[in-house]
Amino acid sequence: MSLALLAPLGLAALAALALPLLIHLVRRLELQTTPFAALRWISERVRPQRRLRFERLWLLLLRLVLLAALALLLARPVWNGDAQPARSWGVVAPGVALGDARAAVGAGEAEWHWLAPGFPRTDEAPPSSTVAVASLLRELDAELPSAAKLAVVVPEQLGGLDGERPRLSRAVDWRSVPARAPEAASWSNAAPIRLAVRYAPESADSLRYLRAAVAAWNQREAGRYAFDAQPAEVPLAETTTWLVWLAPPAPALTQWLDRGGTALVAGRADAGGEPLWRDASGRVLARQSSDGAGRTIALAGALTPADLPPLLDADFPDRLRAAFAGAPPAPDRAPAAVAAPRVDERIAASAAQSPANARPLDAWLAWLIAGLFLLERIVAMRIGGPAAEGPRARAAKDAGGTRAQESPT
Amino acid sequence: MLQLIPPDLRARLRDLRLVARRGGAGDGLGQHASRSRGAGLEFAQYRAYEPGDELRRIDWKLYARSDRYFVREAERDSPLTAWLIVDASASMRQADAARAGYSKLDAAKTLAACVFELALRQGDRFGLAALGGAAPVFVPAGSAARQRDRCLLELARLQAAGGWPDAAALHPLWERIRPPSVVVMLSDFFDEAAAELALRLAAARREVLSVQLLSAEERDFPFAGGHRFLDPESGAERRVEAAAVRRDYLERFAAARAELARRFGAAGILHVEHVLDRPLDEPLRALFGGAGVESKRSA
Repeated sequence: MSLALLAPLGLAALAALALPLLIHLVRRLELQTTPFAALRWISERVRPQRRLRFERLWLLLLRLVLLAALALLLARPVWNGDAQPARSWGVVAPGVALGDARAAVGAGEAEWHWLAPGFPRTDEAPPSSTVAVASLLRELDAELPSAAKLAVVVPEQLGGLDGERPRLSRAVDWRSVPARAPEAASWSNAAPIRLAVRYAPESADSLRYLRAAVAAWNQREAGRYAFDAQPAEVPLAETTTWLVWLAPPAPALTQWLDRGGTALVAGRADAGGEPLWRDASGRVLARQSSDGAGRTIALAGALTPADLPPLLDADFPDRLRAAFAGAPPAPDRAPAAVAAPRVDERIAASAAQSPANARPLDAWLAWLIAGLFLLERIVAMRIGGPAAEGPRARAAKDAGGTRAQESPT
Repeated sequence: MLQLIPPDLRARLRDLRLVARRGGAGDGLGQHASRSRGAGLEFAQYRAYEPGDELRRIDWKLYARSDRYFVREAERDSPLTAWLIVDASASMRQADAARAGYSKLDAAKTLAACVFELALRQGDRFGLAALGGAAPVFVPAGSAARQRDRCLLELARLQAAGGWPDAAALHPLWERIRPPSVVVMLSDFFDEAAAELALRLAAARREVLSVQLLSAEERDFPFAGGHRFLDPESGAERRVEAAAVRRDYLERFAAARAELARRFGAAGILHVEHVLDRPLDEPLRALFGGAGVESKRSA
């Protein structure tokens, strides 16, 4: 239950308070006129002093309040902790049938939404199935008022998770239903891969390492990898997936890269790009860079054990495949029962102050400002009438009226 | 008829007497101070009995005839003539902020009316000279109630305006105020000419009593802040920081008053200051009360 400012820097606009102060500040000689018969005994040595004072104090106060309200509006005040009518939410992960979800949660006065970016309502079309479930859960948890209840319906096999169980600020009604979720695409699809090698005659010795690597790949996924080693002049087959170029640069290589292919090129000591492989002393052995649409893996030396010691390591096939295919994605699938969110006290404490619980006061403030402005205008106009001749004249008139006796003659 | 004298003041006038301090009033059988109301004195008038009159002064023969009490009043041996000179220059318009409608001239009018009352009660002759305004106003000396009413009428008409009249306008004054008269001057004496007149009258064998009328603001100078002081007579103005000049003003003003009192004292003028916030019978008591009167009454 407190007032908070979302943009406290807006209060810098309070500096504008100086404006009305300056406007209303008058430095004036304030003389009271007094008839005084014993004038000759007053010495004239001390001249009257000018005095600082504010005139039309009420109008000044109104204007100050108006400006302060404007500055407050700029600072975007919110009212924290006022319990909003908390509606319970039900979210359904894509891939779960709505009927199943409603049946799992039970009585449905809750608002039903898809667990998808933007949290569309369930009367809209189901979103695409690949969602980062853990991230969305955290987002939803942060956005909902802390009093709102949350029910989540997920398929038994849940994807889109990350390294730990989601930690949320509230206890979640976590239901899993058997789903007809489509099997998420694995990083290693079964499409056959053709590794083409084009070599100059002096590089023929390197072929056996590559052949061994492909054989190692095929040991794990039998028959998926094809090995196509030809002299450099032989054109590339259409089905080529990856290319190893063990020859001086040639138009065929450039074309291949332009078409968006990935090539491992030997003997490129001058190549740029980010380091891919290093030896034990930290020397860069291979770099990868993007040439146009294609990707180049440039070896500093030849594809020989002398220039490339890892060639003899047992994990060279894996490293080679990772270099071509990129690292496998982190595992993000788990049974839903295991991935049930936990309640974290720290997050709960910070969520209590999150803007999701805060009610913006902008509208109220805007009404207040409008009212103040109106009042200010009224006061300015009303005073403006009699004050047109100036408050000084009025003061003098008052003083004259009370102090001087008018003679009828 | 304007009620100039408030009732409580009138009540306090009872034990006051208009007395000539100088003896030898001149004509008549004896001196003014030794007048007596015994038999053999010249009859002046009958008037109705008022509570407080001595019973022995009731004319019982007249009572027997008319079934009413009348008091027989006798002409005095040597009646004195009292002249009231009222300063009606613009400076007499000065009033205090605390009592805005009550100016020095108002106080002077009341004082003058009191003196008329005293004189009337004693059967003395009295006259009025109001100086200031457009032209000096003179009411020739006379006695009796009609004379008083005439004087009060002039007083009621009087407005404070203008300055002190010059010497030529004062000539009738010298013709009318005969030497043995008592002259009561009511003024603030801010005009040197007023003080001069008092001194010359005193030097010319008139018995001068003076009341200097001051407002409380002139005495205390209770101002603060920037002020523009306007002289009602000359129109001169002085812009000063009031609090800063106060001390200096009080010193100089007190010195001026002391100097005036010294000069009047040296000339034999009975001089009294009256400030507007004081009771009005104070100056009267200082001028016309006093031990001498008491002793004469008991004699």
